[in-house]
Amino acid sequence: MQPLRSSEGSASTLVEAPGAAPLVGAPVARLDAARLLRGQGRYIADIERAGMLHACFVRSPHAHARLGAVDGAAALALEGVVAVFAAADLPHQPLLDSVRIEGLRKTPQPALASERVRFHGEPVAVVLASSRARAEDGAELVRVEYEPLAPVLDPEAAAAGAGPDLFEGGNLLYRGEIVAGDVEAAFAAADHVVSARYHGNRYAAVPMEARGCVAEHDPGSGELTLWCSTQGPHQLRRRLSQTIGLPESHVRVIAPDVGGAFGQKIPAHAEEVAIALAARAVGRPVRWIEDRLENLLAAPHAKEQLIETELALAADGTFLGLRARILGDAGAYSHNSTSALIEPYLSAGLMPGVYRIRDYRCEILAAVTNKSPVAPYRGVGWTAGHTARELLIEKAARQLGVDPAQLRRRNMVDSFPYESCTGMLYDSGSYVASLDRALAEIGYEELRREGGPPAAGQPAVGVGVSPYVEPTGWGSDGALQSRWSFASHDSVRIEIDPSGAVTAAVGTPSQGQGHETMLAQIVADGLGVELDRVRVVSGDTSGTPISTAGTRASRTAVVVGGALALAAEELRAKLERIAAYLLDAEPDQVRIEAGRFAVAGDSAREATLREVAEVAFYDPALRARLPDPSLSVSRFHDPPASYANGCVVALVAVDVETGAVTLRRLLSVEDCGTVVNPALVDGQVRGALAQGVGGALLEQVRYGADGTMLSGDLRRYKLPKATDLPAIELHHECSPSPFTVNGMKGVGESGAIAAPGAVAAAVADAVAHLGVEIESLPIDTDRIVAAAAAERS
Amino acid sequence: MSEPGRISIELTVNGEAHRGEVEPRTTLADFLREELRLTGTHVGCEDGFCGACTVHLDGASARSCLLYAVQAAGREVRTVESLAGPDGELHPLQEAFRRNHGLQCGFCTPGMLMSALELVESRAGGDPPDEGEIRAAIAGNICRCTGYQGIVEAISEALDDRAGTAE
Ligand code: FES
Ligand code: FES
Repeated sequence: MQPLRSSEGSASTLVEAPGAAPLVGAPVARLDAARLLRGQGRYIADIERAGMLHACFVRSPHAHARLGAVDGAAALALEGVVAVFAAADLPHQPLLDSVRIEGLRKTPQPALASERVRFHGEPVAVVLASSRARAEDGAELVRVEYEPLAPVLDPEAAAAGAGPDLFEGGNLLYRGEIVAGDVEAAFAAADHVVSARYHGNRYAAVPMEARGCVAEHDPGSGELTLWCSTQGPHQLRRRLSQTIGLPESHVRVIAPDVGGAFGQKIPAHAEEVAIALAARAVGRPVRWIEDRLENLLAAPHAKEQLIETELALAADGTFLGLRARILGDAGAYSHNSTSALIEPYLSAGLMPGVYRIRDYRCEILAAVTNKSPVAPYRGVGWTAGHTARELLIEKAARQLGVDPAQLRRRNMVDSFPYESCTGMLYDSGSYVASLDRALAEIGYEELRREGGPPAAGQPAVGVGVSPYVEPTGWGSDGALQSRWSFASHDSVRIEIDPSGAVTAAVGTPSQGQGHETMLAQIVADGLGVELDRVRVVSGDTSGTPISTAGTRASRTAVVVGGALALAAEELRAKLERIAAYLLDAEPDQVRIEAGRFAVAGDSAREATLREVAEVAFYDPALRARLPDPSLSVSRFHDPPASYANGCVVALVAVDVETGAVTLRRLLSVEDCGTVVNPALVDGQVRGALAQGVGGALLEQVRYGADGTMLSGDLRRYKLPKATDLPAIELHHECSPSPFTVNGMKGVGESGAIAAPGAVAAAVADAVAHLGVEIESLPIDTDRIVAAAAAERS
Repeated sequence: MSEPGRISIELTVNGEAHRGEVEPRTTLADFLREELRLTGTHVGCEDGFCGACTVHLDGASARSCLLYAVQAAGREVRTVESLAGPDGELHPLQEAFRRNHGLQCGFCTPGMLMSALELVESRAGGDPPDEGEIRAAIAGNICRCTGYQGIVEAISEALDDRAGTAE
């Protein structure tokens, strides 16, 4: 049996809130855990308002149709049904993506479909009733006229101009190119050229708490409040303001506890806009709780890309050049969060990965199809691109007859900072060291020696290595280096009240990552106070400074944590000045530690934070000395880009008779620079790895030939269970960023980016003797079984 | 007398007697959440697949989304709210989850705790289960956040502690 505790015990043994610095680096137990464990979390479905109605959406049963009359009369006749609204009843501006990339066509998306439905599950009308059950009864009675159109499901056909067109101008929304160096010359000089294709599966975030919101409009003040299961309250406020036509000052968005999000809760969702409009129209609070079918059907999907790759190599295995073509299947709209380019464009930018590739050309395409729109999901477009590249390298190693890990190693970036050919400045890293560590920990040499086709009746065993680099901590610079136009900065505020309690207000809510704890550690260290004195608040636009991007892109520690560290430093200096006044000392003689001020060399002169705060607020004499003694500091921060790295290794056993793949070991070496809270980092890494394994082995949104979505429950859309995963082995390297506050980098997406590649490469290794190539995920077990049967006969 | 279309039920929840009037189609999960305001029991799928709604019915774990409230009439229901002490002090199992980082967003957590509790209580005094058994015991509870490891470690620790105190 594997040991239960991870090999590096530090992170799995949590420490209680320690009193003294440094807290940064300590595996402090989550500050809010007890509340959630008692069942006292407050999620959207737990929010009740007086007079609240319940909503149920009427959704299109067709993938593509012209929309005729919507008749709610029969529903309205039902007792308990209060209103039925269709698009015409709730005038608003459509949702638009705000990405500024030349050549990308916009696809206005209404909150409720009008004239046309473009995917199975698109909301067409909303029924409000006294209970959810009653609203569902009503929804069944709403009559909608549809005139079905042919669905466009194949992105390749859509890109080639096959219709009918979803939008004026055709179904291809974008075609562009990245060109670096002279790729033609590189290929002309190559001794080997290896090519591969990869169809990245369409899968979804599937948070355990599906989407939902409660809207309330106050006709007196004109203020709209939306409690919403969202990752970006400020961003949602902006979208609501734009679609509904209220100034942002009159829209308040509150994210309560959020039961997982992983990117799916970044966009403003059509349903949320509809609920806000409906609440205003009906004059009562309205709650909408998405059910699981709706979540799989109509919440954004992710990851689907068709990728062709070609690698030029010298005789000794040196990578000379890389060519790629990436087509993203955007679904029915270029979604308002990040547009149709979230997949192919980001994929193209990171395609060179951890390797020294200077000559690169990539064609990028994005097409709309009649499926649920694509939005960010942990690892965004990087997942499919990474998997395609690693499978290509795997194939190259087999063709050249060299070891795949060594082929990777000889081509790795090994000095920093390094500017990739796509313009990313890799700040620091342990690319080679992480690979070597991963190989040593998995016992690679030995596994290789034992390798080869299995004995009869034995499972085929394979090992897959997947080294990664992950753009993290997106400020505007990080976004720009991914060639993405995206406001991605934060402001924060730290305040101390007269009792000496510290409140840090940030615009990035947590969805389970434990940000409150991690950020409190930074603030406590920065101020020199005890951890339990610090409270981090987030999630309410009316009380927190603006976060233009919200919680996404592994940015909270670097951007918000960085901002808090800077704010704390400023506030600490001010506190020490006030304490110096109180203690009759020079400011540079006073130091605060664990919430107590002391004068150097004079242990008799001491003050508590409470005493200093009291003076700051209520001592008029201080005012004469210090024009602004207020204990509140705001700070804007938009840090330079940083890149985390590491290496994931998977060991699989494939039963070639049944096709069953068992993940025997899953190991990751993670390097995210300076770690604030190792326990939280490990939690993020493990969670992302598990989702990556799901994408590799289990998860796929399936559509029928008529565009009907076929995987509408958790039996047909399989998520990893505890029995599908081994104990995940984690190891750490640490390459602090030279560019960020404290050397921090982001963490949280690496497993979702690199685990599918590791598992796919491991299966490819295991079944290589059968001549099976892995060209899509989740692993097609039927193909393996068929190949094994063909070999036997 | 109950309203037309409604059935009146009596049941014990977390040791307290309750009565209520429900539509025949009201699930136990909805009854607990909406009528009794015990919102610790979460609903993640309403299909029996995710386990977020797990409670104990007469001492055995059950999915409250698959039960009608009327099926719980005359029976004893136990929810996550019963675990902590009167002043909020955590149950040893909850404490083990906290110490081992056995939760992230907390949405699966109440159901996970109730499944784990069944394992811990049923194995009191016996041989502690190995990792495979622990994983099997929670295989009906989906957690999207943690990768399960902190949860497995927490349950293992709670079982060890129990074995320690039983000796
Ligand atoms: S809500 Fe009951 S099993 Fe998912
Ligand atoms: S902690 Fe989020 S689903 Fe388990």
